Amino acid sequence: MDVLLDGLRQALSLLFSGDAGTWAITLLTLRVSLGATVVAALVGVPIGAAIALGSFPGRRVLLAAANTGMGLPPVVVGLVVTVFLWRSGPLGGLGLLYTPTAMVVAQAVIATPVVVALVAAALQQVDPEFLVQMQGLGATRVRALWALGVEARLPLLAAAMAAFGAVVSEVGAAQMVGGNIAGQTRVLTTAAVLATSRGEFGLAIAFGLVLLLLAFAVNLVVTLAGRP
Amino acid sequence: MSELASEPSGQRPRIGCRDLRVSARGRELLHVPALDVAAGDALAVLGPNGAGKSTLLRALANLGGLHRTGEVLLDGRRAGSRELRCAVAAVLQRPILRHGSVAANAAAGLRLRGTGRAEARRRSAPWLDALGVGHLAPRSARTLSGGEAQRVAIARALAVAPRVLLLDEPFAGLDATTRADLLADLHAVLDGLDTATLLVTHDRHEAVALAGRTALLVAGRIRQLGPTERVLDEPVDVDCARLVGFTNLLPPAVTGRAELCAARPEHCSIGGAGGVRIPGTVRRVVPLGGATRVDVDTAAGTLACRAPGAEGLAPGHRVTVSVAEAGLRTIPTSGPFAG
Repeated sequence: MDVLLDGLRQALSLLFSGDAGTWAITLLTLRVSLGATVVAALVGVPIGAAIALGSFPGRRVLLAAANTGMGLPPVVVGLVVTVFLWRSGPLGGLGLLYTPTAMVVAQAVIATPVVVALVAAALQQVDPEFLVQMQGLGATRVRALWALGVEARLPLLAAAMAAFGAVVSEVGAAQMVGGNIAGQTRVLTTAAVLATSRGEFGLAIAFGLVLLLLAFAVNLVVTLAGRP
Repeated sequence: MSELASEPSGQRPRIGCRDLRVSARGRELLHVPALDVAAGDALAVLGPNGAGKSTLLRALANLGGLHRTGEVLLDGRRAGSRELRCAVAAVLQRPILRHGSVAANAAAGLRLRGTGRAEARRRSAPWLDALGVGHLAPRSARTLSGGEAQRVAIARALAVAPRVLLLDEPFAGLDATTRADLLADLHAVLDGLDTATLLVTHDRHEAVALAGRTALLVAGRIRQLGPTERVLDEPVDVDCARLVGFTNLLPPAVTGRAELCAARPEHCSIGGAGGVRIPGTVRRVVPLGGATRVDVDTAAGTLACRAPGAEGLAPGHRVTVSVAEAGLRTIPTSGPFAG
């Protein structure tokens, strides 16, 4: 119990003293995970919308794949991305391994199926005749799609939050493709793992608390932004 | 196929089509050689489920990504999707309202066409009043009943001042009283407008209430087109007869006449005098509130009768169905009798 209380005390002092190292790790975590969420949204929203609104061969298979992908183990993603970016791998020439960019790529791979599956579910909740009705009132196709997005904005935001939650909390892929290099690719989760393994529980708890606060702050902002 | 050469209604057609065809997966769903609705007129398209009524409506407005060929005409000129988008407003079977207040929903059509928020609210408010839902304006659209929601959906469509109003079975989900009230209100509203209205329905009473002309659509083809009263009273084939309520078909063998005849159940009585008399056995007796429906097995098949006084009748009773002379219609035998 003492270990926990000491750890908590140390964590709070670290946080409120404005420790430069902790702040750098926090900012990198935000950059990588928000970047990955944006990439996943750019890729996943059109695919999810196509699954929900379109009718093409393989639509159900794609949805099943996305649903399966929601449970994709980050370690497996980390492994595959590492193999691709390895010096002798297909994309080795880019020299991205152990960089924040590689971490964004790996986390985007984790987040994209989440976005696809939840966007498809969000848009399928809206009346299937919604687009026809909007166009029947004079909307162009683009305007009708925009209206659909506005109508489903809460579940769409939930999809973004779920994607962000999935990547900000994962450790396997970040560790494998980032390498947890201090000052370069160390994020809150990998830092917490390292601190714990060294017995620095105060530091680990501090990172854990920051992670929780971060997730809460991002979700609060998004939720408030999506108020009807 | 009679009366199909677009009847002149005295005015220039507001919307129409020529050789309009819709197909899906290589199968033709709809083919309408010609159809016109003049400004200020209302045309009802009456047909059974799956006849292609909604398809016709959507093909005319270029809605729903149908694979269509042929021409849609606006004021006599060939219209593209842009012209149609500006001219048409549609009301669908389910009132699809958005999150937000009733006032915001009524203004939604104008907003989608680029009108500013305040202006859209100002222009749509009178239509909420005209449809009897002005007092609901501040309420959330999610709290409305089905009838109220459909009134808001109609107000939303009328607020854009459409040159063509398309109504796709907008009364289908409503109870009888709500529907009758809404029909009356809509009739009053449309009466003063220059809008060409196309109403798709499977209920002939709605056609009578709203439309001066009616087209009967069966299996993707218009079988009959003309003034509503005449179309509903003088069916040109067996399918049309069934569609407009002449469900009792009487072949020459039982009537002794040269041609197939048809009659509405309300024109058939049990044991009455005069007209055509057909003996049979009561199959079932169904009380319907004011009247009683009696189904009788006869040589002409099962005939449905609307009998005001059916007391004492029970399945198995031998009875005589009599059809008043005035209720008989001669059906040209182009279609199969048993169809």
